[in-house]
Amino acid sequence: MPAAALDWTRPAAEPAPGRVPGNRGIWVGICCEFVEFLVLFVTYFVARAHHPEAFRAGAERLGAGFGLAITVVMVSSSYCLARAVASIRAGALAASRRWLVAALVVAAGYPLTKLLEIDWNLAHGIDGGGGIFAAVYYYLTINHMVHAGWGMLGMLWVLFRHLTGAYTAADHDGLEALASYWHATDIIWLTLFPFFYVLV
Amino acid sequence: MTVPTDSTPMTPRSLTLAWLALVGLSVVSALLGGWVARGTAVQLAVAAILWLKGALVARRFLESAGLHPSLRRVLGGFIAFAPLAIALGALFPDWLVRLTTL
Repeated sequence: MPAAALDWTRPAAEPAPGRVPGNRGIWVGICCEFVEFLVLFVTYFVARAHHPEAFRAGAERLGAGFGLAITVVMVSSSYCLARAVASIRAGALAASRRWLVAALVVAAGYPLTKLLEIDWNLAHGIDGGGGIFAAVYYYLTINHMVHAGWGMLGMLWVLFRHLTGAYTAADHDGLEALASYWHATDIIWLTLFPFFYVLV
Repeated sequence: MTVPTDSTPMTPRSLTLAWLALVGLSVVSALLGGWVARGTAVQLAVAAILWLKGALVARRFLESAGLHPSLRRVLGGFIAFAPLAIALGALFPDWLVRLTTL
């Protein structure tokens, strides 16, 4: 086995050759999430290559402000989670909890913005029957919102654990696992944003 | 628990700068799509910004420099995929259509 390969049988307490933030289980999930969205990205590129006019017209009909708002929400909640991790490493438990609450509050803006966007879309005739662009757009973006929903449920659980004193400066794997998942989900949205709101 | 070994640890300043850069790049990207003449150059610029944003999140928020090599490769490959595909689609659209035709 190459030295750089992951050894899944090694006890978690043993120092690793490189870092695995959080725990190995969450990285299995993140890798699965990446594979899923890679398949969806390929779907997007194939559909766009064969129907460039539909994608050009579709992108121009969407409200780009909604996409930008969700982008700002995602990177901002990612930032808050990174600050929560940095704070707990420094031993500032109260600050870490505050940053985690901030991440959750900011992240809640995502489904709210999405609901407003879908309402706006339907008012402008962009529904599921709107052709290849609408089908790909709704499938990818709603799928991403589901993944973000799981992340928000994770935030609630980690917040409960954090408030009950489960994490310390020396042991906060749960918080780091959540942060890793949310950053990965953030990277996926950063990719979806130009797909539907920027490239025409 | 794994121990951080990253040579660029998260500091409030580095995180805040990364966040501001991400917001700024997102606004620039939106402006490129909406207000600037569309064409191959713009698509290449959007692809470059996309890669930069993904790399920023990985580097600053996920501390990718200290990640296990296998995870670092997975992350780097995922972040590079879409920008490369956008660039190929912009430069060689007909080739992409032929490649994806059954």
